[in-house]
Amino acid sequence: MNAATQPVPAEKKAPAKKKAPAKKKAPGSSGKKLFRKVEPYIWIAPSVILMAVFILVPILSVFQMAMSDVSRAGKIKGFNGIENFVKVINNPSFSLVLKNTLVWTVAVVVISTVLGFMLALVLNNQFRGRKVARAIVVFPWATTLVIQASAWNFVINTDYGTLNTLLMKIGLISAPVNWTPTPEAYFAWEIACGIFVTIPFVTFCVLSGLQSIDTSYYEAATVDGAGYFQKLFCITLPLVKSSLTVATVLNIIYVFNSFPIIWTMTKGDPANHTDTLVTYLYKLAFYNGKQGEAAAVSVIGFLILLICASTYMIYTLRKGDDDL
Amino acid sequence: MSQPAAALKKPTSVKKVILRVLLYFVVLDVCVITLYPYFAMLCTALKSRNEIFSGNTILPITALWGNFIDIWSRAPMAKYMLNSILIAGGSTIIAMLCGIPAAYALARMKFKGQTAFLGVIIVSQMFAPVVLLIGIYKVMLSMGLTDSILGLIFINAAFNQAFTVWLLRGTFMGISAEMEQAATIDGCTRVQSMMKVLLPVAAPGIVTTLIFIFINAWNEYTVALCLISTDTLKPLTVGINTFNGYNIIEWQYLFAASIFAIIPVVILFMCIEKNLVSGLASGGVKG
Repeated sequence: MNAATQPVPAEKKAPAKKKAPAKKKAPGSSGKKLFRKVEPYIWIAPSVILMAVFILVPILSVFQMAMSDVSRAGKIKGFNGIENFVKVINNPSFSLVLKNTLVWTVAVVVISTVLGFMLALVLNNQFRGRKVARAIVVFPWATTLVIQASAWNFVINTDYGTLNTLLMKIGLISAPVNWTPTPEAYFAWEIACGIFVTIPFVTFCVLSGLQSIDTSYYEAATVDGAGYFQKLFCITLPLVKSSLTVATVLNIIYVFNSFPIIWTMTKGDPANHTDTLVTYLYKLAFYNGKQGEAAAVSVIGFLILLICASTYMIYTLRKGDDDL
Repeated sequence: MSQPAAALKKPTSVKKVILRVLLYFVVLDVCVITLYPYFAMLCTALKSRNEIFSGNTILPITALWGNFIDIWSRAPMAKYMLNSILIAGGSTIIAMLCGIPAAYALARMKFKGQTAFLGVIIVSQMFAPVVLLIGIYKVMLSMGLTDSILGLIFINAAFNQAFTVWLLRGTFMGISAEMEQAATIDGCTRVQSMMKVLLPVAAPGIVTTLIFIFINAWNEYTVALCLISTDTLKPLTVGINTFNGYNIIEWQYLFAASIFAIIPVVILFMCIEKNLVSGLASGGVKG
């Protein structure tokens, strides 16, 4: 934090504001001057303290534990360098977990972005009942993931799930289908559930971008004889790019860190086949008492996310330059 | 679906009518698929256990509304509900109390480290509590807050701080500072001019932020699962798993309880959806 404290470059809101109190401070100046310098820090102090105690300290603690020998009860018994990391990486299930995490994140983010984008295009049309449709689409976003996942778990159950009942009633199938014959199939259902709950966020981010597009662009393009897809790729896509990027980056972070869906549906079982990094580390820490190794997994996840974070930072900062 | 008004005006309307019908078809499909899990939940919540496990019916044979009453005696539902309200309400208050001054300073003052602070805010969005769970547990242990609602309030407030500051800063920056300057000239202090001039004007943005934090805290599951062990201190999201036992899952009660947990949030969410999204998007671009 300190390292980055350069003299603020082009932030342009405050100057006018400063003049008003300036004339008041004429008499007893030096004390007031000092106060004016310190004042902003007093304003941000509560926020900084809150985040420092409950986010920064845990971060430091995780890093410390990752490099320590930690007892089952969580007592730190001494520094042991990268031993925890070596143990984690040498564990044969870890590569499976890493692969699952990658598949989970990429599949959920990519598919929900594509579908969410298409849904936004559909909802951007004028039609009767549009408000109702928008309200309905919000549902999965507002519902807590545990409940959503429980519902899916119930729907796909082989013996009494409503998906089988429904398909049998319609006559598409004659006997109950086992929707989850293998761990991979179960994982695919978890991904489907993840996509289902992620779509609304993408849709609404894109919709807000779409609604700010000036319709005259489209009129001009129509006059010039552009087809639907030409308009889509040459006007719509470039103009909603920024909304889409923000949505995608935030999604990568949320999905990567998503715990409740997998935890509710399979708890990562059987034998790590549906584990992602976060469920894996939860089990390591709170079921197996290997807190040091769990902390190491945290740090690894942390570093992966940091790459995303810096991409995001670079993107937003560059974007800021474009605006100026 | 009968009046594609816009389409009919045009002369070459056959293609347009087909497109319209297609549009309604897609929208209808999306709505049906989206609502299906909720429909299944509601139907299941109204069935008896035998009916559920027979798996023969979609709609309940007779709607057992009694399930919705039974859950209150089968588990400390009222306690769970109260805990959820306390946690969500408490975190919202703390997050706002800390976030409003910080957002104000970012929007209206100029100070060294401003960009750095903003950077920290952006980066802190990257860290979900799950990844830090071990650290959080340790910190809470040292403060004696592991099995307490207060602990959850602080954690939720802290992890929502980024959004709070982000959304509020955007709101404040969208409001001209002139009125506050006038108030200052009239002798108001900074705090007064913020409280009396800025905050009332910024009310819509503040309400959006407030509700968003409330929903996030209400829906939070992972940290509560990890920190709370006393049954009567659990929030709804964790508490409803009482019905999700090791041997048998009481689906009807699980879903009846779930519906109680969903309804308030969905209503709140529909109120803010429009403001929230534009806030998030513009906040992101303004960064």
